[in-house]
Amino acid sequence: MIATIRSEWIKLRTVRSNVTTAIVAVLIPLAISLLSVTFMGENNIDSGTLPGFIVGSGSVAVLLIGVLGVLCVTQEYSQGTIRLTLAATPSRPRVYLAKAVVVALLGAALTGLVVLIGNVVGSAIIDARDVPALDSNPDAAPAFLAMILMGAVVAVLGMAIGALTRNPPSAITTLVLWPLLVEGIVGGLLSLAFDDDVARWMPFQSGLNSMFLELPEDGFGRWGSLGYFAAWVLFVSLIAERSLKRRDA
Amino acid sequence: MITVEGLTKKYGSTVAVDDLSFTVEPGVVTGFLGPNGSGKSTTMRCMIGLDRMQAGRALFDGKSYSSLRAPLHEVGTLLDAGNAHSGRTARNHLRWMAASNGLPVKRVDEVLEIVGLQQVAKKRVGQFSLGMKQRLGIASVLLGDPRVVILDEPANGLDPEGIRWIREMLKHLALQGRAVLVSSHLLSEMALIADSLVVIGKGRLIEQCTVDQFISRHAKKWVVVRSPQLGNLVDLARAKGLQVATNENTAEFHGVESAVVGELAAGNGIVLHELSTQTGSLEDAFLEATALSVEYHGLSESAT
Repeated sequence: MIATIRSEWIKLRTVRSNVTTAIVAVLIPLAISLLSVTFMGENNIDSGTLPGFIVGSGSVAVLLIGVLGVLCVTQEYSQGTIRLTLAATPSRPRVYLAKAVVVALLGAALTGLVVLIGNVVGSAIIDARDVPALDSNPDAAPAFLAMILMGAVVAVLGMAIGALTRNPPSAITTLVLWPLLVEGIVGGLLSLAFDDDVARWMPFQSGLNSMFLELPEDGFGRWGSLGYFAAWVLFVSLIAERSLKRRDA
Repeated sequence: MITVEGLTKKYGSTVAVDDLSFTVEPGVVTGFLGPNGSGKSTTMRCMIGLDRMQAGRALFDGKSYSSLRAPLHEVGTLLDAGNAHSGRTARNHLRWMAASNGLPVKRVDEVLEIVGLQQVAKKRVGQFSLGMKQRLGIASVLLGDPRVVILDEPANGLDPEGIRWIREMLKHLALQGRAVLVSSHLLSEMALIADSLVVIGKGRLIEQCTVDQFISRHAKKWVVVRSPQLGNLVDLARAKGLQVATNENTAEFHGVESAVVGELAAGNGIVLHELSTQTGSLEDAFLEATALSVEYHGLSESAT
């Protein structure tokens, strides 16, 4: 298993487009939150401002990390290396698990970098401005942890969608349209039919909610929302792993 | 040693490989021969578990491929030299393969040297010529120093120098005691590389034999005669019920030994300027053997 994980890690980091995607997944969210604290009106900055911007940019970070998850599978099909992978490691569950471990750790590391650099540089920017000293925000640490975990979960989701479609454009489209369009439409229709707010049952939205500083009132709580989304991702992953196992390579 | 028993692969209702059984012995190159579309690649993919077979099994020294923990140590496969990420360097391509089977980076540099790619090890595979990709593919086959080597159409698309290199490499691998299975749709190519043949058509085994046996069984033989009294000889032969085809100044006698024709001529006082036995080409033998099983009859069929 260790050998398979090492092999998958080498595979992931030796393709330039993967490295570029990973860098972009850190830089774009950082740019959003750091530019925001730089230009925000001084009177409006409080202890929740910087953490709020960082976790707010987290949704962009996790989507880009999801794209990375997609790429690490689909490029194997588009470049034909999946046959070499499965010839070198005949156990398909092992290949799937090793890939998932690698993209999950990388996803968490990338969101972790966004949190770390965002806090260090963001605090320095705020300190340099004419703002009175700020208290620490009690919700920041759990929200940051949720964001780091989301990096791992969405990476695994991207990988699962990639393994199901085997085709980069359709996998990326699915990954992006799911939270932006499908859950919006389905959630909207369902809330017309039911009095209850059904938004919390939308998996991706629930996952994104877990990163907020201030949680929605009728959600499952931070860890409940994240766990609910993770359960969906696990379900999709099991289907994808089964598909890898059953279909000809 | 490879043992394939009753391998059957269906795509929907189409039978791609039908109850195929054969063996590949160590120490020799075994040619896996069949027309395009006859199921050679499918068979190879099924053998190493990439495609699921509906029935049968393939054993490598008695073990199925899926039971091998680090298969690169046992079986080296090259299905398509294009199966490499064009953005990765040659060395990195081999590195991930080596890592997956616990092989050290040192081994990567060794195989790069064996195939003569050490100078371009840090170039991207996308910049490689087909011949260089083929060498990289052979390097990946050699990584785990396997006892069994499987190659699918390794000479396809190569220039003459590349073909010669592959040929020498395969012979070398067999001489080292490995079991080598190499597919091709060209018998002439196989005749130069292989000692033994597995011939298939439409997914079925036609024959497993040596190259010489295959040619002598399937290649046509006929007797060519040149004579100033050719007309007399042909008339006599036809009267005896022999099959004769005549050209401008030669006659071809089919289904008969040259001695019979010679004696017939001598007995009737006919002067012969030539009496020789001709053997059909390898390609003829192959076409003959697979004629009934060719999947796609091309327009050129009538011209051959």
